[in-house]
Amino acid sequence: LAEHPHRDLAPSVATASALKRSLDPVTFEVLKNAFATIVDEMAEQILRTCHSFVIWSRDFSCALCDRDGNTVMQGSQDIATQVGILHFMAKAVLENFGESIAPGDVYVINDPYSGGTHFNDVTLVRPIFCDEELFAFALACGHWADMGGRVPGSFDISAREHFGEALRITPVRVWKAGEYLSDVVRLISANTRVPSDIEGDLHAQAKATAVAERELHRLVGKYSKSAILTAFAEVQDYVELLTRRRVSELPDGVWENEDYIDADPATEEGLIPVRVRLKISGDQMYYDLSGSHPAISIFLNAAFGLSFSSVIAGTKTFFPDVPLNSGFYRAVDVNLGPEGSVVNAPWPIAVTGGASGVHEKIMNASFEMWSQIMPERALACSFNLEYLLVGGRDGRRKDRPYFMWYDWMVGGWGGRNGKDGCNATSPVFGVGLAVQPLEGQERLSPVLTSTHELVPDSGGPGRYRGGCGVQKGALLREGERTVMSYSCDRARSITWGIDGGLPSLPHGVWLQRSDGERHFLGAVFSNVAITSGDSFTRPSAGGGGFGDPLERDPLAVREDVADGYVTVDRSLTDYGVVIREVDAELAEYEIDWEATEHARGEIRSHRLGWLAEDPESVAARYRSGELDVMDVIRRYGVILDWGSGSLFPRTTDQFRAMLMRRAVAHWTKAPTVPLP
Amino acid sequence: MTVRVAVDVGGTFTDVCVLDESSRQVSVAKVPSTADLIDGVEAGIRAAGINLDEAVFFGHGTTIATNALITRQLPRVAMVTTRGFRDIIEIRRGTKDELWDAYKDVAPPYITRRDRLVVSERVDAAGRIVQPLVEAEAREIVRILRRRGITTVAVCFINAYANGTNEQKMRDILEDELPEASISISSEILPEIFEHERFSTTVTNAVLSPLVFQYLGELGRRLEDDGYGGDLLVLHSGGGVMTAKGAAKFPARLAGSGLAAGAVATRHLASLCDFGHAIGFDMGGTSTDITLVLDGQLRVTKDWSVEYGYPICFPSIEVVTIGAGGGSLGWIDDAGSLRNGPQSAGAYPGPACYRRGGASPTNTDANLVLGRLGETLIGGALQLDREAAESALTAVVGAPLELEVADAADAVLRVANANMADALRLISIRRGHDPRDFVLVAFGGAGPLHGADLARELSIPAVLVPPNPGITSALGCLLVDVRHDLSSMFLGRDGVDPQEVEAEFQRLEAEGYERLAAEGIAEMEMDLQRTIDMRYLGQWRSLAIPVSSPLTSLQEAIAAFHDQHEREHGYNRLETPVELYRLNVTAVGLTHKPELARHSRKRYRPSAQSKRLVRFDSVEEWLETPVYRREDLEAGASIEGPAIIEQLDSTVVIPPGSSSEVDDWLNIRIEISLPA
Repeated sequence: LAEHPHRDLAPSVATASALKRSLDPVTFEVLKNAFATIVDEMAEQILRTCHSFVIWSRDFSCALCDRDGNTVMQGSQDIATQVGILHFMAKAVLENFGESIAPGDVYVINDPYSGGTHFNDVTLVRPIFCDEELFAFALACGHWADMGGRVPGSFDISAREHFGEALRITPVRVWKAGEYLSDVVRLISANTRVPSDIEGDLHAQAKATAVAERELHRLVGKYSKSAILTAFAEVQDYVELLTRRRVSELPDGVWENEDYIDADPATEEGLIPVRVRLKISGDQMYYDLSGSHPAISIFLNAAFGLSFSSVIAGTKTFFPDVPLNSGFYRAVDVNLGPEGSVVNAPWPIAVTGGASGVHEKIMNASFEMWSQIMPERALACSFNLEYLLVGGRDGRRKDRPYFMWYDWMVGGWGGRNGKDGCNATSPVFGVGLAVQPLEGQERLSPVLTSTHELVPDSGGPGRYRGGCGVQKGALLREGERTVMSYSCDRARSITWGIDGGLPSLPHGVWLQRSDGERHFLGAVFSNVAITSGDSFTRPSAGGGGFGDPLERDPLAVREDVADGYVTVDRSLTDYGVVIREVDAELAEYEIDWEATEHARGEIRSHRLGWLAEDPESVAARYRSGELDVMDVIRRYGVILDWGSGSLFPRTTDQFRAMLMRRAVAHWTKAPTVPLP
Repeated sequence: MTVRVAVDVGGTFTDVCVLDESSRQVSVAKVPSTADLIDGVEAGIRAAGINLDEAVFFGHGTTIATNALITRQLPRVAMVTTRGFRDIIEIRRGTKDELWDAYKDVAPPYITRRDRLVVSERVDAAGRIVQPLVEAEAREIVRILRRRGITTVAVCFINAYANGTNEQKMRDILEDELPEASISISSEILPEIFEHERFSTTVTNAVLSPLVFQYLGELGRRLEDDGYGGDLLVLHSGGGVMTAKGAAKFPARLAGSGLAAGAVATRHLASLCDFGHAIGFDMGGTSTDITLVLDGQLRVTKDWSVEYGYPICFPSIEVVTIGAGGGSLGWIDDAGSLRNGPQSAGAYPGPACYRRGGASPTNTDANLVLGRLGETLIGGALQLDREAAESALTAVVGAPLELEVADAADAVLRVANANMADALRLISIRRGHDPRDFVLVAFGGAGPLHGADLARELSIPAVLVPPNPGITSALGCLLVDVRHDLSSMFLGRDGVDPQEVEAEFQRLEAEGYERLAAEGIAEMEMDLQRTIDMRYLGQWRSLAIPVSSPLTSLQEAIAAFHDQHEREHGYNRLETPVELYRLNVTAVGLTHKPELARHSRKRYRPSAQSKRLVRFDSVEEWLETPVYRREDLEAGASIEGPAIIEQLDSTVVIPPGSSSEVDDWLNIRIEISLPA
């Protein structure tokens, strides 16, 4: 059952007009809100007691499920990647333990092949009983800092299969009828690099589920068991009805889209498509991802739980006020297609990096389709989730303790209809995920941050530009036996614009050896050895632009220049706006309106030709230093190895085809420079 | 005759509370706030009929700092920061409070990017100077600031909490070349780890300083002209007062001044009546402020902000504000569920019964329809239209749910009360405390209307309604001590030398004495309290553990930490190492404690002024209910529910089954009948 989520999610008979509640309106609303309060109380408890800095940064989620494992309420501040998996965890416990589930039991599970996301996301599941009958489940899922395996932090980019990546936990009891099974917990914690923290987080999450149990029993005492059971069902029906009402107001139709993972390193260069098809018919949404590429040789694939969650999160972004539970899932039919694709990778294919691979691509492809359905909420592509891991021995202390500099960044979000994209914001992976303070990192590891600053011009040009990305770089000081790994994407499948907007810039890490030699390591690599004195840096992309950049208000460009979000040079190349410096010390700039009209005319007449220019000659001009990376991508649509400057011909063809669809098709020929 | 005066200025009203030292009688006045806030203060003083030359104390609560931040009525301020880190306050932690709505943004930082200037300097986590401040660059920055005409500056350098030398040098250069400048440096304002939190606090301090300095200077002068000869004492977010001089250095501590006043009053009233634990429930027109008193202490948090994303990390009384008030709207959502708030009818158009064009039913309308609220408010100044309330309730709630108008009103209020109970539960009861040990202190215009029902919902056995519910916050400003909160990072675990801790405490205490002395506090009136923030090694949040002075061993503190962790979070880990995180000293200058007049209590049954039909929560029939006038009630007046007590600024509901008595201080104490 759990392996094929779409079968579980056939449209319900409850249609928009047929729902009658048996609870009175007050009891219903009071219980619905009480369930929401319970999951928020669980979240509070976790935040106050957790050990993993990843959980502390809000990479966790909580849910209340009914006795069949369907979600009744999901936490209001939960991380987006986990919004469609917790019911799979409850169902996995039901499936594996059935009748033997007893009061006082608590289970732990992290299995992506049973509907989880990846090994680091560990869920504690507490069955809740009433009158000796299974009645509900409380679940708390959190990202543990390390789950063992070959690479610190358990992100092994080179893994093709999960063996050796991390400890896989199929559902197992850690409390049995109230008794703490310390032997089982020790087996788990002993397989990780931070056993004490693992046990701390296990307690924090288990205790959070106990809070839910206590509160549910209080509600039973006040309203009766049957009222609560009815409310479990009716709260799901409520969300389903609310969702269906909204969907039925939308036009029927079919939308198709694709986004790309950079490449499969085991095969020829070329973008890897993730295909998403959406059909709206009446009050039902049907997603079909069956056209997606076969699973690839690195861990950017997704198993079914993560893909399902991605579809849910991508859809929910356009229904921000609708609560999430299994009622929402019932209005969304998801067909992932046959097992074996990037979006439906079966055991034992590696899927640990799926959040930066498939998840991002499903989300952003969905955003563009929904932007067509709801133009007033349009959103171009946002930067890609990324995390850089530097691990080794800390030479500052005599006992040379293990250190782990595990860093993720914020970046730019896509341009919007009528509004620029947000600068420096947490990833679509989860807008609640906070970046870590570098002062905390510097205490705990011998890594000195050299910069953490916005990147000028990184916002994809558009009538409404993408938000700016961020540069973060650092120097390894007293590190010993240190290696660096990186999980990201979009060094080639560059963060794109919509409705005529242009792309941002590539993700990827640059390493500068202490002797001054500079290397581009790309957007995915693992276990690169570095030594004291080496430094490294990487940008996060900005968001893609929305609308034709030649239609951007020149006054907005001037303001961007005064604040340094856009440089004087690129205001000309990206926007055709000629800005003159009046007094930089006073941040005073002026627009040359005539020259601007002329420059925009020039760009307008040449830009199609630029996109057809011979890619090899563009690559040569990049290597000679005549063109920079933004020129190559935005003006010529050419994709290179950014270190060597060598061309990826097939990738370039695919990228140019993408630009034709997302940018060129929306450009108009008429000059539209507003005159003052 | 001598008097003590407190003036609390809010957005709508300026409240004055005066204590006559000889008679110990409290008198009050309420006047509308004015555009020039000081005009309102003077009008309030006139309305209270006092002579300032008789005043020996002047306490002041103000929302001026909070409002300036929210409305962005801020001067142009510059920030000088470490090269490479220009955007820390814009990057923040990257999160948004609105997780799903891609069109809702976090507010921009208080200082624009163009006014954030960088200088070469760097300190590492151990406090070593990696790069001394480059003086030539510093002087260049000062030159640019002078050209820009900016005279308020925040200096925020990385790791300045560990070594403030570079920041101090930068300040010296600024002072040297811009003698008129007002400068806030992060190592003095908040010498604590985590760059964004420290920078944000420092920047907030800087942007508020010109306004606060100017306002308090002007207020001080005008009070002096009016005859006041003592110190102007301003309430800060930590629940104590500062002199105007202290406030000029730490103006960001005034953000939250208005909220703190109600909390201080709650604590005072609870301790007066011998309650250790209390919940303050201050319900107004659009929102409700909730505070918690445990063992006579207000809960303090360092995780506080006026606007999301811009923390002000001074210790602040924990006040939770929820969007529920008398004006909150009852409405039916798309899926037919009855909701309450957070939208509010506000002051305009206000509830339907105000007949100012409001067509949506509010909690006030529902209270009116059920007879809990009379048709005449503020002694006749406001006439409510019951028919308008009924037709709004019928149209919006009654008809769709097929309910009679009274049942619709009852439903609206039950949902409103349940929502508030959920919010109270989230911050209070769940932390292991038994609700039966609490008193609910109900104030604000609407608090006494809902207090008894809310207490019953939460199983709280007692409700306290102060004599003047509408001006309770001003009372809070009357009865406070001078208070400074000092802290110092102190990271360490096993083998921490208690003598080192003691030495650091003594350093903090010396600074505390110095600050109190500078405010004219005599040594015998100084009281200094120590706490250590502690946590399990690997945890992120800490608990503040009180310690004795002098400190010779940490064993007692560690044992107390295990106990408190068990109590607050439901478990402890006795075998896990405990880490010290921060040392805190609270330096209190005890002000002369006036006693409120005690009235001799003679138990009697007062006679009602009138009767009307009222419907109470969970009672289906209309009850003929006596209505009393509060000003007629003397100490010892004993009233059985059902009853209504009306007064100028509020209405008190005593439900059937509950009983009440007026106590020695003229508070109404309601004893709630709880379900068995």
